[in-house]
Amino acid sequence: MTTHSTELQTGRPLGEILRQAAVVALIFLTVFAVTIPFIFLFLNSVKPPDEFMTNPVVIIPSRFTLEHYQAIFDPNEDTLRFLFNSLVVTSVTTIISLMIGSLAAYSLARLKLPLSLTTLIAFLFLLVRFYPKITTTLPYYIMMRNGHLLDTQFAVILAHVGLTLPFVVWLMLVFFQELPKELEQSAMLDGCGPWRRFTQVILPLTAPALLTAGILTALLSWNEFLIASSIAPNAAKTLPVRVSSFITDKGILWGPMSAMSSIIVIPMMLFGLFAQRYLVRGLTLGAVKG
Amino acid sequence: MIKTQTIPSEEPTVTRWQAFRAQLGEQGMLFLFLVPALVVLIVTQGYPLLFSAYFSLFDWTLSRSPVPGAFIGLDNYTRAFADPVFIQAVVTTLIFSLSATLFEMLLGFFLAYITVGETMWRQVSRAILILPMVIAPVAVGTMWRMMLSGRAGLINAALAAVGISGPDWLGDPNTALLSLIIIDIWQWSPFVMIIYVAAITSLPVDPFRAARVDGASRWMIFRHITLPMLIPITLLVLMFRLIDTMLTLDIVYTTTFGGPGFRTHTLTFWIYQQGLRYFNISYAAASSWILLVTCVLIAVGFLVLRQRLTRWQG
Repeated sequence: MTTHSTELQTGRPLGEILRQAAVVALIFLTVFAVTIPFIFLFLNSVKPPDEFMTNPVVIIPSRFTLEHYQAIFDPNEDTLRFLFNSLVVTSVTTIISLMIGSLAAYSLARLKLPLSLTTLIAFLFLLVRFYPKITTTLPYYIMMRNGHLLDTQFAVILAHVGLTLPFVVWLMLVFFQELPKELEQSAMLDGCGPWRRFTQVILPLTAPALLTAGILTALLSWNEFLIASSIAPNAAKTLPVRVSSFITDKGILWGPMSAMSSIIVIPMMLFGLFAQRYLVRGLTLGAVKG
Repeated sequence: MIKTQTIPSEEPTVTRWQAFRAQLGEQGMLFLFLVPALVVLIVTQGYPLLFSAYFSLFDWTLSRSPVPGAFIGLDNYTRAFADPVFIQAVVTTLIFSLSATLFEMLLGFFLAYITVGETMWRQVSRAILILPMVIAPVAVGTMWRMMLSGRAGLINAALAAVGISGPDWLGDPNTALLSLIIIDIWQWSPFVMIIYVAAITSLPVDPFRAARVDGASRWMIFRHITLPMLIPITLLVLMFRLIDTMLTLDIVYTTTFGGPGFRTHTLTFWIYQQGLRYFNISYAAASSWILLVTCVLIAVGFLVLRQRLTRWQG
């Protein structure tokens, strides 16, 4: 809506000003309400241990401390390894998913199979979005167990590629379908096959779409919990799985848990704030055009 | 090098790869592009789905035997429907899903309506408002455990300030499910918001201009032009939220862990417990198929409805 809010400002000047003021106040209120849990988390990650679980609650710590961050990065803790696992899983998942996903999307946009099989295959990719991941997690766990692949980065990456591929395929498919066919025609007349057309004509034009799909893929993989926690309990553990283990029989380790949650949250917050346009496009396109 | 492919007679030394490509042709090559993604889809989704449908028909406890036991037909399915805990999980899921979806739709639409627009500060507001949905569910769990803690939570501190003594939100049987609903609303209303923002932004301008020329009030424009044009997208968002709330698991896992008692055992959490904790693998698979079929039916129902509606409107 490029114009609605401005064009509607005809007549009733005082009422209009009051209305605008109310809207501004409401937006500030909701933004504030939404941000509180974030602020509380960050404050808790630098709060001294004796100020947790007090009554009344300590909101602003009496002094700021980095001891929880030091504690989780203590050499005896394997946090660095889990961070490394998370980074490897997320980046490899993103690269593979983008490569095979965009290739498949290009194929689906140009391929002509009989009996509208192309549409059917595209629909199968879409279907993945609509069923419980627990249904595939159980057999996937058994498959990895039988293949002696439990607790490997390979198993987590393969699962994450399977999880994110449908999003990449659909985002790129919508994009490729909107590209004018004329772009490829001259290349086709020159005798370029699909591979050269894809890599030399189409891919250079897809940077924004690839960025959108890449951010969404990285986000899904970085945050994923269910599959990672069931197939990678130790050596290949990722950060989100580690966070849940701060809840112990003896109680919850609030400080370290807040610190590690902050570490997980911050990269995605930066994506959210500085790549909003791409992120929103990624999150909505799947829904709006699907 | 490329020309040799179309006119092979010009260049007699064709490499094996070029010959292969010429043989394959345009469509064959394109199909080849699809193969890696199809392989991943089959290995990570197709085969596991068929495998779980298969062993849901057997008696199989993974901790006792590495292979499925006796074939028992649909016994796991009938057993689920006779299991009071399963039925309780269905009810819990429905309450959670329907109430969270309802409030997310209303709140998300409202947020979209007040934040739509291209001014700098509206864009910044939206960027902040979508943060809850981009962060890891486990982090959301940590945040809300601290917000909702009975003794030292921020919510109860705020309530105490106005003289109300708040409950132990996540631990109290009366408020545990309500807490989960609040968390889901906080996290996913922004999703409804950004979709409505995109939808409102792409509405055609002409009907609004015409209505204003005719002197229609703001309410009349909203009621008779904006709302009807947003019905198709509303059906779509509704479908996404209904299904996604029915599949919520991470938040339950990281906040209440199904408790107190079975109070917040949603279907997905119950299936998770049966499958990956007690290793009643075939029973869990059967239950997950009941949920899967329900979700796919909801999706198909909404998509058909939407298609009928667009045909009728167009």
